[in-house]
Amino acid sequence: MTITTTDTPKRRRDLTRPILWLFAAFMTVLIVLPLSWLVVFAFTDKARYPTLQNFVTLFTDPAFLDPLLTTGIIATTSAVICCLVAAPIGWLVSRTDMPGRQIIRALVTASFVTPPFLGAVAWELLAAPNSGMLNQLYRYLTGAEDPLFDIYSLTGLIFVISCYTFPFVFVLVANALDNMPGELEDASAILGGRAWTTARRVTIPLALPALVAGALIAFLQAMTLFGSPAILALPAGFHIMTTKIWSLFQYPPKLELAAAAAVPLLVLTILLLQGQKFLLGRRGFSVVGGKYGPPRPVEMGGWRWAALAFCLIVLLNPVFLPYFALLNAAFSPNATTLVTPSTATLHNIVFVFTELSSTQLALKNTVILGASTATVGTILALVVAYVTTRRVIASHRMLGFLATAPVAVPGIVLGVGLFLSYTRPPFVLYGTLWILLLAFLTINLPSAYQQLQAAFATIHPELEDASRILGATRLQSLRQITAPLLRTGVIATWCFIFIGVMRELSAAIVLFTSQTKVLSVLIYDLNESGDLAAISVLGIAMLVITFAVVLAVNRIPIFGGGAGARLRNS
Amino acid sequence: MGVRRLASVDLRGLTKRFGALAVVDNVSLKIDHGQLVCLLGPSGCGKTTTLRLIAGFLEPSDGEIRVGDRLVSSRARTLPPEQRNMSMIFQSYALWPHMTVTENIVYGLRLRKLDRDTIAKKLAAILATTKLEALAQRYPGELSGGQQQRVALARALIVEPETLLLDEPLSNLDANLREEMRFEIRRLHDQYRYTTVYVTHDQSEAMTTADLIAVMNGGRIDQLGTPEDIYARPESEFVARFIGASNVIKGTARDANHVAFAGATLKVVGAPLAAGQAATVAIRQHDIALSTQPPASSENAIKAVVTRQVYLGASRDYMVEVADGSSLRATTPTETNVPKGGEVWLTLPSERCRALGR
Repeated sequence: MTITTTDTPKRRRDLTRPILWLFAAFMTVLIVLPLSWLVVFAFTDKARYPTLQNFVTLFTDPAFLDPLLTTGIIATTSAVICCLVAAPIGWLVSRTDMPGRQIIRALVTASFVTPPFLGAVAWELLAAPNSGMLNQLYRYLTGAEDPLFDIYSLTGLIFVISCYTFPFVFVLVANALDNMPGELEDASAILGGRAWTTARRVTIPLALPALVAGALIAFLQAMTLFGSPAILALPAGFHIMTTKIWSLFQYPPKLELAAAAAVPLLVLTILLLQGQKFLLGRRGFSVVGGKYGPPRPVEMGGWRWAALAFCLIVLLNPVFLPYFALLNAAFSPNATTLVTPSTATLHNIVFVFTELSSTQLALKNTVILGASTATVGTILALVVAYVTTRRVIASHRMLGFLATAPVAVPGIVLGVGLFLSYTRPPFVLYGTLWILLLAFLTINLPSAYQQLQAAFATIHPELEDASRILGATRLQSLRQITAPLLRTGVIATWCFIFIGVMRELSAAIVLFTSQTKVLSVLIYDLNESGDLAAISVLGIAMLVITFAVVLAVNRIPIFGGGAGARLRNS
Repeated sequence: MGVRRLASVDLRGLTKRFGALAVVDNVSLKIDHGQLVCLLGPSGCGKTTTLRLIAGFLEPSDGEIRVGDRLVSSRARTLPPEQRNMSMIFQSYALWPHMTVTENIVYGLRLRKLDRDTIAKKLAAILATTKLEALAQRYPGELSGGQQQRVALARALIVEPETLLLDEPLSNLDANLREEMRFEIRRLHDQYRYTTVYVTHDQSEAMTTADLIAVMNGGRIDQLGTPEDIYARPESEFVARFIGASNVIKGTARDANHVAFAGATLKVVGAPLAAGQAATVAIRQHDIALSTQPPASSENAIKAVVTRQVYLGASRDYMVEVADGSSLRATTPTETNVPKGGEVWLTLPSERCRALGR
């Protein structure tokens, strides 16, 4: 077939495709490279000869077998506790006339955004055997010699992990209940089922898949957490898998074993996520629109206040007590002494920001990494979400898969993989901020991608088509039509990544060097040296930055403040 | 509106496959410049895919599209939509919610880098034509469905395209407005005379707007003709059933234009028949005459029993059963009132009985 080019106008080159392929290549390297090196190291010895010896050691040496078992115990019990606590609260908040339901939701969200390692430090302040404030109170009230709580124990660790994992279960259960059509319950009522019967026979069975899926996620969280176990288990003298992997990086490093130990975590994570996907079907985490009708809340009568009291007592543990302890420590001369107006001091704050040499560096690194990861990550997620929702290139499924794959890679596993990949040519990035950027980018990509994909789904593809047919190139359409419509979603994603970077510890702990310390690592270091007051100050600073970022991007007009109002009526 | 190049659109063997499935299957269609052609068919017949191929949103798997003397789509190369000088009106209207009515309408002109005065002049003209002056500063979210539709029209027309594409443009409007907009679209077409391709599944929409209707089925053009051709002279069972209310009779051919059916012999027109072969004959419901007395001429008369009768206000709708057990439907004037179970004579005028080739 011959094409007459004589009368066609001189074509602008369409750069879209090459650019997209570049992104695809970058994503492939981002995710495939660390995992490949991980597998290579796991299945070879120091001279890179293939061997299974690493796994034999892993599954026979008690030094590895014990952490594996402990991890299993912790993850299972935490998951069970999370369900026992989150399911009733989710039901009370979503389906009953309990007072203060919005406040309870907000408080659960507060425990959601609290970095788990900060919570662990707060509980050190509260329940360390000797100095813990709750133990002091107990001794004062009873005159006993022995402490009531010991947070440096298996139970203590399970307790703290559960405190900051139960929100995952709560969100899933409450979402499922929120979206359950009220008609289903009414149908049971009209057939003669009383409120409690309906709850037992209809509501709970319908919410069960969400609950089990939540349990799997809780298990996953507990299994892959690094901060809390490192803070609480190491002083108690035991390891879990993540801390064991970390210890293999200490001198003398045993990288092959570390890689091998990461493999079971990776495999389990993939299996659990598959299970969760199966249970939730295609509903995912998202709030499904189009409700049948608002459900009728169950009337609790006199039990309403008892229910509220139950919720508040539960929330004492992840929110009220820890935040009280942190605030107290920040302004007290001694971290675990109750501060009074006469003893209140700003010394800790002055110390942290002027005398502690590493603060400035860590703050600077965190802000640089947070901003750059958020920017690059948002762009990357934006492009991938665009390609997958609009099916621009044939391999869009592959790109979508690559963007979600890191979900199945626990932070510490990714840390190991990145360490192995970027300490050797052609990419020697270890010791620079770049390696941390790659780590944070990979970790935050899946949720950023999912958020933006949801945002794209709300923009009808014909809006772009309309612009193309009127003469705009693909890039012009993106800039003039899609970008303005996506603005709020993009801003939310940016904030989300920024906050995610600030809380990240498990990959950073493997990858940092003295010059690339970040805030979370600094907090971990300070815990090692027992400087809990400084941690409190930094922890509070971290939360302040979080809120400042969220407020700033929502309020400042050039970032899109007020844009939401205009788009709402369309 | 100045001198414009009006282009014909020529589809040659156009094919689009998704995997093994040919959604558009070897479609050839020549649309002269200034003509309005409707692609009519049920959902899934490939009409929207054809339109998107013409627009350049899709690349053909086979065949080619020429606009005027330009080859715009072929397997080897597809000109992107922005270089085709076309406009399109979408099913969803696709108005940009973050732009005012004015911003929406002048978007295409701004892309063409026209100067302010020209843009203002053209805007004023199109706002007047589409009666949108009062709404120029509103956002699309503040408009009714009909107003949004007119903005979409204005936005597509202001760039003076060579070709205008419409994808089910009226399907989101309520019945009254739909009727009004049909004539509006035809009026604007008569005023500007661009080559127009109009996709719809609504036969009366196609009848009122089109110069030429292409009835599509299973990715192919089943019949191409004027609205009258399509309605009065269907060539296939699919077209007969899809357009208007038809009875499709299965009988046996006696000779080239006689069909044995239910103990009677029907004289038919249309596709020539071969004696002894199965024959399919279509006749519209309202072309069947129904009487309680035997008709004067016995030609094409069949005896039947009423199995159902419904009063529709303007007419009566009969379901009758003939000797071989098959049912026919007839629409008659309200005066003919035969209760259920009554015996009647049907007359099927021979010039209305069309033997179908397919």
